Amino acid sequence: MREYYGCRTCKSADKQLEEYIRALPMETSHHRVDSQDTKCGFGLQGVCCRLCSNGPCRITPEAPKGICGADADTIVTRNFLRAVAAGSGCYIHVVENTAKNVRDIARSKGEIKGVDALNRLAEMLDITEEDMYLRAEKVAQAVLDDLHRPEYETMKLLRKMSYGPRYETWKRLGILPGGAKAEVFKGVVKTSTNLNSDPMDMLKDCLKLGISTGIYGLVLTNLLNDIVLGEPKLRVAPVGLRVIDPSYINIMITGHQHSMFTYLQKRLIEPDIVEKAKKAGAKGFKLVGCTCVGQDLQLRGAHYEEIFAGHAGNNYTSEAVLATGAIDAVISEFNCTLPGIEPICDKLQIKQICVDSVAKKANAELKEFDFENRERVTEEIIDSIVETYMKRRGGRLNLLMDHGNDDTLTGVSEGSLKEFLGGDWKALIRLIISGKIKGVAGIVGCSNLTAGGHDVLTVELTKELISRDILVLSAGCSSGGLENCGLMTKEAAKYAGPGLREVCEQLGIPPVLNFGPCLAIGRLELVAIELAEALGIDLPQLPLVLSAAQWLEEQAIADGCYGLALGLPLHLGLPPFVTGSPKAAKTLTQDMKHLTGGHVIINDDAKESAEILEKIIQEKRSGLQI
Amino acid sequence: MRHVIIGSSAAGIAAAAEIRKHQKDAVIVMISKDEHVHSRCMLHKYISHERDVKGLDFTEENFFENQKVDYIQNEVISVLEDEKCVLLRSGEQIPYDKLLIASGAGSFIPPIGDLRTADNVFGMRNLSDAQAIDKMADSAQNVLVIGAGLAGMDAAYAMLERGKKVTVLEMSHRILPVQLDAHSAEVYQRKFESKGTIFYLGRRLEKTISGTGGQICRVVLDTGENIDCDVIIVAAGVRPTIDFLDKSKVEAGRGILVDACLQTNIRDIYAAGDVTGLSGIWPNAVKQGTVAARNMCGIAEKYTDTFNEKNMMNFFGIVTLYLGQICTRKDEVVLTEEDRNVYRRVSIREGKVTGVLLQGDISNAGVWQYLIKNEIDISHIKKNIFQISYADFFSVKADGEYRWKCEGQNFKF
Amino acid sequence: MRRIIIDYKKCDGCINCTIACMQAHREDEGTIYDLDLTDPANESRNKSVRAEDGTYRPLFCRHCKEPECVMTCMSGALRKDAENGLVTYDETRCAACFMCVMHCPYGTIKPANSLQKIIKCDFCAADGYEPNCVKACPKKAIHVEEVEA
Repeated sequence: MREYYGCRTCKSADKQLEEYIRALPMETSHHRVDSQDTKCGFGLQGVCCRLCSNGPCRITPEAPKGICGADADTIVTRNFLRAVAAGSGCYIHVVENTAKNVRDIARSKGEIKGVDALNRLAEMLDITEEDMYLRAEKVAQAVLDDLHRPEYETMKLLRKMSYGPRYETWKRLGILPGGAKAEVFKGVVKTSTNLNSDPMDMLKDCLKLGISTGIYGLVLTNLLNDIVLGEPKLRVAPVGLRVIDPSYINIMITGHQHSMFTYLQKRLIEPDIVEKAKKAGAKGFKLVGCTCVGQDLQLRGAHYEEIFAGHAGNNYTSEAVLATGAIDAVISEFNCTLPGIEPICDKLQIKQICVDSVAKKANAELKEFDFENRERVTEEIIDSIVETYMKRRGGRLNLLMDHGNDDTLTGVSEGSLKEFLGGDWKALIRLIISGKIKGVAGIVGCSNLTAGGHDVLTVELTKELISRDILVLSAGCSSGGLENCGLMTKEAAKYAGPGLREVCEQLGIPPVLNFGPCLAIGRLELVAIELAEALGIDLPQLPLVLSAAQWLEEQAIADGCYGLALGLPLHLGLPPFVTGSPKAAKTLTQDMKHLTGGHVIINDDAKESAEILEKIIQEKRSGLQI
Repeated sequence: MRHVIIGSSAAGIAAAAEIRKHQKDAVIVMISKDEHVHSRCMLHKYISHERDVKGLDFTEENFFENQKVDYIQNEVISVLEDEKCVLLRSGEQIPYDKLLIASGAGSFIPPIGDLRTADNVFGMRNLSDAQAIDKMADSAQNVLVIGAGLAGMDAAYAMLERGKKVTVLEMSHRILPVQLDAHSAEVYQRKFESKGTIFYLGRRLEKTISGTGGQICRVVLDTGENIDCDVIIVAAGVRPTIDFLDKSKVEAGRGILVDACLQTNIRDIYAAGDVTGLSGIWPNAVKQGTVAARNMCGIAEKYTDTFNEKNMMNFFGIVTLYLGQICTRKDEVVLTEEDRNVYRRVSIREGKVTGVLLQGDISNAGVWQYLIKNEIDISHIKKNIFQISYADFFSVKADGEYRWKCEGQNFKF
Repeated sequence: MRRIIIDYKKCDGCINCTIACMQAHREDEGTIYDLDLTDPANESRNKSVRAEDGTYRPLFCRHCKEPECVMTCMSGALRKDAENGLVTYDETRCAACFMCVMHCPYGTIKPANSLQKIIKCDFCAADGYEPNCVKACPKKAIHVEEVEA
């Protein structure tokens, strides 16, 4: 008998990872895909309503309406708006904490790593203040003020942060969001028992939430982080399980709120703390990147070479990272921190610490991030990790040192990419016009285990797209899969079509560019805006498509609504739970084109999806007469 | 072993198949007047042109070849029990070891006026009737149906489908008097009327007036009213077909008399189906044929599922069925529920269901039949009676079949 | 013969079996995502009924040893297959008389909403006699077993 926990694990694009997980003696999410194979059809279609005690009501031919009279359209859009509101709430929570952290650092005259970033953002927001700290504080406060505005007041920074033609479209459609938190609140109220039943009204709210999510949750979170954490710089870095060096005390970080680690990551390399590690028998401390906060750290890795081991993997790689046995603690502050890591941590005696109660894991110690007392709390965290390290080490390790690669290009952002291309977008535009690069695809979002397996559709679709000379920009857990599969190394140029390959080889870049965390979808948008601006067109005219091929969660749905508000074609591997409503399905996949210009494409086949996206890009090119 | 079966309808065919199941090598001979095996319950579909002759055949493909049944198309004119053979109209004698009489029943044509002699008057019992009616319908315009029972309404329906002007005459004051209550009957009556049917209810046929060529062209009712007609379909009941037993010792009353094993008073002669007069419906005939066959094969079995107060109709997209007693007694409680599409009526006596009528929605009806024929006490079930289902009696046997779970009850079946 | 064996204690009433049956027997092509849940033509051959005590009773055609439905069929549409023991239904022969509906003691046959035919379990013959309801049951409350015919 083998010690495999179970032999029926799901597929992974990353075959080495697939084999590794299959051979693990502990259960992972990859094992549970099989036992959860049966999906409730009502749930899949979004026609199960649990809003009142008469329910759950489900739609069937004999029962085309719930007891209250809600039909499939109402039930579906209600559920959908709830999901979008929840997803938006998640990102708004992230930007709120980020803005607070920037404000607190500014007030305490802490380190401003990205002075240029601060100045650019202050200029965008028309904030003029001589003193740098005061300037940073005002920027952060302006964001917080908007987030806390009531729902009936349109957010003030919206116009400054939006692309002009888009802002006008949103204004015309009546979807300019009020205060971002209040919009979430309203979405929750609207969708409660026997309130809103108007599918179109609720879908409009989804777009509103999409806009506040995108501009605040995504774009501004990045730009605020750039101020205190430093701007992304291009560099080549190791990725995969190989980054885990057992001679260090290793802390796996999961979440989305990089600014919460500002103090910790600084402190962990100070001599007195390194000494603690040495006393315990380790060379020092390393932060092992996992999920989006790991991606954000990698993106800014140029500033953190000493403390950051590298990005090990995305959401559904986290169990494997822990299973190596060389991780001593997990510090989490947000998703994606899978509940399923808990028994693994227990088994391997890994210390779990949560620094934000929204992501409190059942067996984790809650050490709420507290700016005032950050020094004390950080010392406590470090001491408990050292203690855990001493207790737990000595057992068998299960490393996978040849997993991943050493030369993934990271640190790509709207700023670093432009700088690399010579300070403007002319070169890229020329390549697009010449057809060497037919267009651009943003492959974003998560990994899930059901669209073919872990990262399967993402990786296959990306390969299909680059073979069609479509440049791929990635942000989110999708990046984690793509980098571990080697598509972000310059050797990956060999998978590209002749035009894109030539460009990649000439510039020494991969055909898939890594923008980092899902938050950086906001950065992709900034690139898109700058390209559109340079061409003097609106976003829907760009030969640009989005794909959240393996979207997982409610946040991704909110992001998706942002994509639709931007007027972009959005491909999804699996449909959101809306197909039970003919109205919702038609609005999202067809009618949206006439509203914002965007639309949803559902397809779970990589080749077919690539064909559809290529065709859209061709149409957009024809529209621009190129 | 040599089995002879008289009749090729529900009971006869079921018996032949059952005998073959138990005796691979027995000789099975089936004697029938019919040129084609056909389902009598579907004759109206032949007239309405929904089905052709082949479409009336209810046996499986190549039934006679596969089951090795010799089919003799002829008429039995006598049973010679002492010689253990039957005499055919052709003069041929067919010997048997075991004989099953499943000759069915024929239309009863009342002896009024020229009904029994006119050549535009038909029963609705055999394919030959349906073929003749079909032929007449090509030229006839006015159709008179005598009797508003199920067969009569089937005939009326078929003629409406053919675009004829249909008049229905019925002694009772409402249509389908045996099958339905006044309320549910009215639903159908209105439907038929909206399609052009004229009903003469609570009236009797008094006399007939024949024109040239031996055809009745008009009838006169007891009220003095006249009805013109080109063709008359008589659906005024059936009589078991037993005339060929006149000289035999096989005892018969209205039908052939049988014991619990469906054997007649003469050893080795069995009877099943409508000819016994035990019931006039298909499933009972099949069961009788099956039980008789088993006994003919030496497997002793009693015919117990005698419940026959049941029928079903499906006109104009409205289905209705009845089970048990429709006329309620004083000691019965009647419960009804009704909406736009559905009418349900249940009568109960001493905690047991005695009758059910379901119109518009007949799902779950088999459960009601089971409750009625087994006299199952449901007084312990407190929910809305119309929501009773098999789930309330759910139990699974080791082999996965269901069985009825009822405390302290013994079931006949 | 093979029969769907029911362990009603495991049934949670999710009626995934129902939707799987509808999907398996739909007339148009498509996936579970686009199955029209409001089209009366999409009917299920099975159901799970909630009992008084809140537990569920899955009601599925048993393909009985002595099927009442077959005995009542006056068109020859319903047959007990001698080979595989299943009660088969030939829609083209059915006269829509619904005598079978009246005779199934368990209420597992119903008239189609169209009233042109009946809705009855076919053991997913088109899928190689592997019932989709069984595949869809997350609780394994139903499974297929070889039993004596």
